[in-house]
Amino acid sequence: MSATVSGLSAALRHRRLAGVLWLSLFASALVTWFPMKSLFAVFDEGAFREVLMKGWDGWAMLSWMTAESRSLAIATASVTGTLLVFALLQIFLTGGVLRVLVDGKPRPVFARVIAESASLFKANLWAAARFLLAASIWGGLFVAAPVALLKKLARDAPPHTLLPDLAFWWGIVAGAIVLLNVGLRYDLARIALARGDARNARGAYRVAKQRLAGRRASGIRVLLVWLAFGAAMQAVFTSAGLRMNPHTNGAVAGLFVFRQAGFYLLAMVRVGFWAALLVWEERRRPAYSVIGSASGGATWKLSEPIATSAAASARPETGSSVTTNGSALLSS
Amino acid sequence: MKQLVLAATASLVLGFPAAALEGPRKIVDYDIAVSFDPETKLVEGSETLKWTNPGDVPVGELRFHTYWNAFRNDRSTFFKESGGQLRGDKADTGKGWGYTNVTSMKWDGAELVKGARFESPDDGNPDDRTVLVVPLPRPVAPGETATLAITWKAKVPRVYARAGYVRDFFFFGQWFPQIGVYEPKGRRRNSDAGWNCHQYHANSEFYADWGDWRVAITLPEKFVVGSAGALVDTERTGGKKTLTYAQRSIHNFAFTADPRYVLVEDVFDPAKDIPKDEIARAAKTLGRSESDLLSGFHKVGIRLYLQPDHHAFDRRHIEAQKWALAWTGLWAFPYPYAQISIVDTPEDGLGATGMEYETIFTTLSLKWMERWPFNRIFVPEMVTIHEFTHGYWMGLLASNEFEESWMDEGINTFTESVMVDRKYGTYMSVPPGIGFKNEEMNRAQAALTQDHDPILSTAWKYVSENSYGRNSYPQPGTTIQQIRNLLGEEAFWKAFRDYAERWRFDHPTSEDFLDAMRASGNPHVAALIQKTWYGRGWIDFSILKAETEKDDGFTGFDDAGKPVNFDPDPRKKKKPKEKDDREKKGPWESLVVVCRDGDIEMPANVVLTFKDETTVTRTWDGAGGWIKYHVTSSSPLVKAEVDPERRTVLDRNPWNNARYTKKYEGPSAAAKGRTYALHLVEILLSTLWGVL
Repeated sequence: MSATVSGLSAALRHRRLAGVLWLSLFASALVTWFPMKSLFAVFDEGAFREVLMKGWDGWAMLSWMTAESRSLAIATASVTGTLLVFALLQIFLTGGVLRVLVDGKPRPVFARVIAESASLFKANLWAAARFLLAASIWGGLFVAAPVALLKKLARDAPPHTLLPDLAFWWGIVAGAIVLLNVGLRYDLARIALARGDARNARGAYRVAKQRLAGRRASGIRVLLVWLAFGAAMQAVFTSAGLRMNPHTNGAVAGLFVFRQAGFYLLAMVRVGFWAALLVWEERRRPAYSVIGSASGGATWKLSEPIATSAAASARPETGSSVTTNGSALLSS
Repeated sequence: MKQLVLAATASLVLGFPAAALEGPRKIVDYDIAVSFDPETKLVEGSETLKWTNPGDVPVGELRFHTYWNAFRNDRSTFFKESGGQLRGDKADTGKGWGYTNVTSMKWDGAELVKGARFESPDDGNPDDRTVLVVPLPRPVAPGETATLAITWKAKVPRVYARAGYVRDFFFFGQWFPQIGVYEPKGRRRNSDAGWNCHQYHANSEFYADWGDWRVAITLPEKFVVGSAGALVDTERTGGKKTLTYAQRSIHNFAFTADPRYVLVEDVFDPAKDIPKDEIARAAKTLGRSESDLLSGFHKVGIRLYLQPDHHAFDRRHIEAQKWALAWTGLWAFPYPYAQISIVDTPEDGLGATGMEYETIFTTLSLKWMERWPFNRIFVPEMVTIHEFTHGYWMGLLASNEFEESWMDEGINTFTESVMVDRKYGTYMSVPPGIGFKNEEMNRAQAALTQDHDPILSTAWKYVSENSYGRNSYPQPGTTIQQIRNLLGEEAFWKAFRDYAERWRFDHPTSEDFLDAMRASGNPHVAALIQKTWYGRGWIDFSILKAETEKDDGFTGFDDAGKPVNFDPDPRKKKKPKEKDDREKKGPWESLVVVCRDGDIEMPANVVLTFKDETTVTRTWDGAGGWIKYHVTSSSPLVKAEVDPERRTVLDRNPWNNARYTKKYEGPSAAAKGRTYALHLVEILLSTLWGVL
């Protein structure tokens, strides 16, 4: 079974897990609800209610942005804050999501995800910091510096000729390559933490490096496939949502439910991605794993057989001493 | 073959205007020879200028613009005012300086340069070198033509403000010593005769006299040249070529050179390129026959000098150009020249973009706008339409842009909006259907903002560049739209066309346009003009109050002392009011208070909507600050709205134009808006799933 098929299968099986991710998205977005309420109140009190119920009105929107500029500023600030909160929430939740996927038990999920996420949060936060640092360094070396150099060389070149185009496309392609590589290693580090292959971010990155050795391209392919899934899903639902243009309260509720269904499917894509990457990673695990790298010297330990459901649930929450080389994902 | 085509074009050019032009008063005649070295950016030129004294008194000195001295150093008035950046482009203060040095000026054998001096009539800046005053050994008599032989040397500045170079791209605007305008008494309603020759300011454009031009340009063979006028002669020697262009009846001359230009040629054919529905609309509105409207049209050659990376824009610019030729021909008067040249500037030379000269202008193409979904942003088309139409409001009606910048930019913004919105609808629309009309964008910059200047001011005396921009472009554009709404379609467009026809090939002033608008006798138009062109007037309609109550008759004691509608026993509790008394049958008493803030008085309709879906419309003349409506009806009032047709385009806050008598129970636009906004936030957040 390919990683993609395994991912799809896991996405369908772990519907509750997707529900947790969707809930994290929805709850985060709800932070902006009250600023939005104040911002949009005038829609029902002002002169453009009927026209806006019918659809888009450019003049209504331009004048609204001016008339409600203060409320708009508050709402924008709340969206910025929400972005930060959501980022932290995802760093937090990923550990729990991976643990649940590794164990393969679709339920109970909510409490489990929270508990496992809490146990892994510190290490995951360090991993995220390392990801940002690595992205900055490699981005600087392989993207910003060459682009700056090319731009300098192209200073007297006409626009959209070889050198300026090279600078542009280098920025795009090299930026994507750097992000995919750094991101993949970050993802694998988090898998290592979730599997207990490492106690901390440093060790996890070391494990991730071993997993990637010689197999980077296929790992990136997994990433790209699921990114494409997600982008397509987003495009389809956004486009359909815009076309719906509801005219009644019932239709607005329908739009709301429809879009949340879209975001839920997007959360399933997220679960599918993690499951696919776990399968990919699992196939590249050696017969033994490195643990305890935080203590300095490597401790070699033979892999244990696939954890049974009971054993998995009885596992201590910290779980860092447990390693598996085959999970329920493959066996189910 | 190409030579033959060029020669044929030239004869066409020189042939057409003779019939089409009614003949401006020609004051100048330029015969210029210029050569430039693309490596050193140095220019050498000589010109024979024939200048005729148009006044009835002798003139003892001449005044010249030496515009490129604005880029001479950082002490010029232009540089001080702009801070070295204009319209988003920055000056190259390393090697980008430029200048114009007049080396000789002879009249009747006498050298005039020795006695010449620079003056700064606008700001007294002793370091500004953009106005050259040349005392004459003897005055030029009224009607006398002085023939001057002038030579000059110049360096092309690196482009950041209209003219200059970037790499091998050159745009020559305001590039030669150009004589100022000697205004006789009465010209542009002046009470005194005198020179009108202003310094080059950051926020000003130009003003010049009409005349005929012949310009010979010598440059390396590899360059493709686009120019005002038509090519009448070509000579080639030693890797260089000399191209001679000629054009009659214009008041400025610009050209461009770039070896990378791709020349796209087309012809505007009135028989094919004027939309039939537009002809019918114009004929009906203007009250003229279609044949009358079409009588002055003729074929116009279109030459598009395109950057090679912008090939995807060729049809976009050409189609926009044809539409502009058709529209202006119908609603103002047919374009009188035989050709128009469109110059597509490179994306690293955007300082030269969006600049207009007669029979030639620069337009905008941005490569990222060539593909879906960004090809739905019609900014390139808008720029082509805008810059071409300058050829009317600055070119054919040669207003003084130094002193009355709105006459060009403001009227042009208005006509641009009409043209762009009619042809393209929502001109910024990504995704489809969600976007803004051109007029809405301009209106937002005018009606929704506050400012410290009236529309009418000299260009460099506005409090800021923003104020110059607002009061030259969107504010007059939107106010003209307001006048259109006040006058109605027929009266407005007739007045508009009358103005255009009356002042073509002349120098109109603000009052000429405003008089045309006032001619209908509409008092609101006259008041609006006073408050906006000469003041900082504004207006905001609002519904202050909208209440409705069941009329249960009076409450209290009647004449016989009997209690009515209440129980006088203090021990009895008051009967609780019904939760929603709007379900009761009438009669209903409603009170609506409509307000008008700001100092512009404007009439508006007030529409009262009742629960049984009947409506009552009253027209308020806008006098006073407010008006109250007491209405008795059989159904409760649901909504009161002032100006529901949104005819008051200057309304500063259109959102307060309606009020509901109670919380609305129908479909909620707020819920719809919140839902879409929430989804937008969720989309934004979910993108982090791709990274975190």
